[in-house]
Amino acid sequence: MGVKSIYILNKAGGLIFQRDFGDSLSKLDSNDYLVIAGTLHSVHAITTRISPVAGSSGLTVMETPSFSLHIFQSQTGIKFMILTDRQQYGIDSIASRIHHLYSDYVMKNPFYTLEMPIRCEKFDRYLGAYISTVA
Amino acid sequence: MIYSFWMYDRHCECIYSRDWHRSAAHEDKEDLQKLIYGSVFSLRNITRKLSDDDAFLSFQTSKYKLHFFESPSNLKLVLITDPMMSDACNALRQIYAGLYVEYVVKNPLSPIEHPRGTGVDNDLFNMGLDSFVRSLQGFA
Repeated sequence: MGVKSIYILNKAGGLIFQRDFGDSLSKLDSNDYLVIAGTLHSVHAITTRISPVAGSSGLTVMETPSFSLHIFQSQTGIKFMILTDRQQYGIDSIASRIHHLYSDYVMKNPFYTLEMPIRCEKFDRYLGAYISTVA
Repeated sequence: MIYSFWMYDRHCECIYSRDWHRSAAHEDKEDLQKLIYGSVFSLRNITRKLSDDDAFLSFQTSKYKLHFFESPSNLKLVLITDPMMSDACNALRQIYAGLYVEYVVKNPLSPIEHPRGTGVDNDLFNMGLDSFVRSLQGFA
């Protein structure tokens, strides 16, 4: 139920944060997560080019029989990828809440270096607390 | 609104494509078919890695939605529509079972593999596909 996994990608498509919630998705090793992030980053770019109508955004939602993947891009080019149940509603508000937590506990952390993997204990803690409240 | 239909064989070769409502004219069709295959193939592999699903059903951007169906023989069918369209995987399954298998696979004169350039060239399949897609809800 709810959110299954969250990925955060930097501008270059590098994975800077990944966390699974629950165990409904297969466990992969950390290298696989980097590959998935990189691939999605390029697919996101390619999907703007195959649009039959001009001015399309990149990939926003992908549906599979067991989960949906949502991609949100912030103004600064950071991508948030949220894997949820297919029944999950209100993904927009979940994404903006995650973006808030990111701004508050990652961007305002003076020891965090831009574009580098996120290791902020407070972010982890508040993110976990928030996701556990998502029905 | 249904924009286009694409079919790829197991050798990543585009063996059939068809446009209905075409707006942004792509300069290079060959490039386009490769880009579509690339994104479909990558997303299918990611889906397989993350879950037990065989493939994804569809993906969408702000301007279009791409529906995907893969047959057991790795024939890939792709339908590009506007984002409002509901899931068309069943329609693709019907195209595969009702049209491709009937008119192309069961046709003794049709080649089994489609080496570069030829592709599916079959009047019954053409007409059947055209009338089937036009009958789908949300075509216009």
